[in-house]
Amino acid sequence: MKLVRDVLDKQLIDREECEMGRVSGLIMHVGEKSQPRITYIVIGGETLWMRIHPSLASFAKRLARTWGPKRDGPVRIPWSRVETVGRDIKLDVRGRETGALDWEIWIARHIIEHIPGGGEKGEEEE
Amino acid sequence: MSKALQIALGIITSIGGFLEIGSVVTAAQAGAAFGYQLLWAILLGVLCLIFLVEMSGRLAAVSKHTIVDAMRERFGFPFFSIVLLVMVLVAFLVLVAELGGIGLSLQILTGIGFPWWAIPVSFIVWALMWRGTFSLIENGASLLGLFTISFAVAAVKLHPDWGSTAHGLLPTFPGDQKAKYGFIAVSILGASISPYLMYFYSSGAIEDEWDESYIPINRVIASFGMSFGGFLSMAVLVAAALALRPKGIDVDKYEQAALLMTTALPRWGFYLFGVAMLFACLGAALEISLAIAYFFAQGLGWNWSENLTPSRDARFSLVYTIIIFLAAIPLVLGVDPIKVTLMGMALTAATLPLAIVPFLFLMNDPIYLGEHRNGWISNSVVTIVILISFVLAVISIPLQIMGS
Repeated sequence: MKLVRDVLDKQLIDREECEMGRVSGLIMHVGEKSQPRITYIVIGGETLWMRIHPSLASFAKRLARTWGPKRDGPVRIPWSRVETVGRDIKLDVRGRETGALDWEIWIARHIIEHIPGGGEKGEEEE
Repeated sequence: MSKALQIALGIITSIGGFLEIGSVVTAAQAGAAFGYQLLWAILLGVLCLIFLVEMSGRLAAVSKHTIVDAMRERFGFPFFSIVLLVMVLVAFLVLVAELGGIGLSLQILTGIGFPWWAIPVSFIVWALMWRGTFSLIENGASLLGLFTISFAVAAVKLHPDWGSTAHGLLPTFPGDQKAKYGFIAVSILGASISPYLMYFYSSGAIEDEWDESYIPINRVIASFGMSFGGFLSMAVLVAAALALRPKGIDVDKYEQAALLMTTALPRWGFYLFGVAMLFACLGAALEISLAIAYFFAQGLGWNWSENLTPSRDARFSLVYTIIIFLAAIPLVLGVDPIKVTLMGMALTAATLPLAIVPFLFLMNDPIYLGEHRNGWISNSVVTIVILISFVLAVISIPLQIMGS
């Protein structure tokens, strides 16, 4: 597997077939005696913007702390939860429990569900 | 649904959804200023569009990726973010133009100025997106767009000289007004080769769950649908050449474009123009709003589908909600939709390489297309037309701005 071609920027799907975002970055463990290995998949604006410029990353970080679901730091998913890497990356997690869908849920609860026809409150829990 | 019915519906919706304010205004300007001389630009644009639309459908059917999906994956976020920024800005301009087109159509039908229509029109477009499904937007709006066939009726009733019309299909250099000629040619190419149409089409193929068995259907729909749509654009140009040019009318205002119908159909041509353009611009506004929301959602990996309840793809729904209401602001302030249209079309042409070159790389990538990747004919046609559009845009846009 080639990490940049096959993993980075790939679509992440949870066990309920929900789209959780794309792979923003990867965390690698480099031991002195063991071979380097991928430990976490990272999802989140801060890591994503860091790939363009650090100042954009710090802006994204400040925004995430002051507005919306107020999350501290990007979401990390252990590599051990990866089920398959193909067209998408299938994860053995429930997306909404990882924090990857915090913005989706926040926008649904605070904006969309208040507009008539936006959907029943709590509908997404079904 | 049987395959034959799918093909028929696909062709009909392509025809109904082909014309919008950009293609009509640019073709009318071309006919009014240069007679049949710029028919070649429509032919070239439509030829390129046929190839691009076919490729968009093939990519989705074979790889199960939309263009945006594959672009983010293949080229990474830093490059994708540049494409996102540029494409969304240009598509936003085009959305302002289409909402303005609906407002202007209502203006000529009711006499009430277009700025008053900006908010109600945006609200209706948003409500159709909010409550509607993908097939309602794809089929419903495009079927109403079939009113635009009246342009072909008007052109035929004006008895064009078919020999001169055929001559116009070959490029010629103008005697004078070279900058204007180049600028209109670029605007026509920009209006024909709309990247948003490709994003919309490939997303639609995923929404409709296409697989490899759809490749022949896709080819027929792209070829016939876009060709017939292109004929309607040519009909507008021909009608303008016959109705407006002899009277020395230049199309600077929307009402002037409406006159191309009144010569052929004196009693109700003016109102028919209003109704046809109302539905054509409505369909285009829906498609562009959806294409912008698709771009964000697919590129950033959010839930997306026009068939879901908005709370189930909240970020996707929020994007089109914000974009539609932002697009109403310049119109409320009285910005001229015709000027926005011409600038939007020329900028579309100037930015085509950014949209199309990465797409061509994808279409030649065996990881995505396997044995169905592009042949040399598709690659050559698209590359040549994009190159022509870009060079014309780079030369004529500054000249036109300096000239005006």
